[in-house]
Amino acid sequence: MKYLCLAYEDEEKLNALSESEWHALREQTLSYVAAMQQSGHLILTNALQSARAAATLRVRNGNLSVTDGPFAETKEQLGGFFLIDARDLNEAIQVASKWPSARLGNIEVRPVEEVLRQDKRYG
Amino acid sequence: MKYLCMVYAEEKKLEDIDDGECVVCGDRLRASGHAVAAEALQPVHTATTVRVRNGKLSVTDGPFAETKEQLAGFYLIDAGDLNEAIQIAAKIPPARIGSIEVRPVRQLSPRSAAVVQHA
Repeated sequence: MKYLCLAYEDEEKLNALSESEWHALREQTLSYVAAMQQSGHLILTNALQSARAAATLRVRNGNLSVTDGPFAETKEQLGGFFLIDARDLNEAIQVASKWPSARLGNIEVRPVEEVLRQDKRYG
Repeated sequence: MKYLCMVYAEEKKLEDIDDGECVVCGDRLRASGHAVAAEALQPVHTATTVRVRNGKLSVTDGPFAETKEQLAGFYLIDAGDLNEAIQIAAKIPPARIGSIEVRPVRQLSPRSAAVVQHA
């Protein structure tokens, strides 16, 4: 079963880390990525640029409108994500809890819809 | 350049979009080489949020942020620049009923394997 893990972190808090603290967090993250690869849990992961670099768009009656910034202004911003394979939600939570920034921010864990349903989007 | 396109929509309104159209959109983006990954998510009530403080894990039900429109899925795409990414994202079917957030991906460093793909 696939789970999308969304890592939310306060960008200001991350920027306020000393160089050595940031270096340690970065190294821990890279090691954990390697460990998740090794254990077969990791499918895909990416860090994101600052939420300031986000654009949000919508199309209504064929017209595209674009606004700067993320969809939702939140105290902590989405900083990256990892898509994992886990047996069940409990295992997914265990895997997500070892992501280093879980100590600073929050990780949202959402199961993936493996196949889109025929009758309607959500059961 | 990679961009994460997050699809936000009210779950009720999503029922107005034929899933077949979403399947076609995903297939088209994979065929054109734009899609790196794309996944639909289960409803937001299945979300769990975890944090670790002083070594203690706490788990709460529900998404990190309660929003009027909910994250329904994502496309990770490869595009020349933000303009192209926006053009591509505008053709994702739920853009007509919800919103698509487009965020550039940050490369950590070449040796970091920041982008890992098995599938």
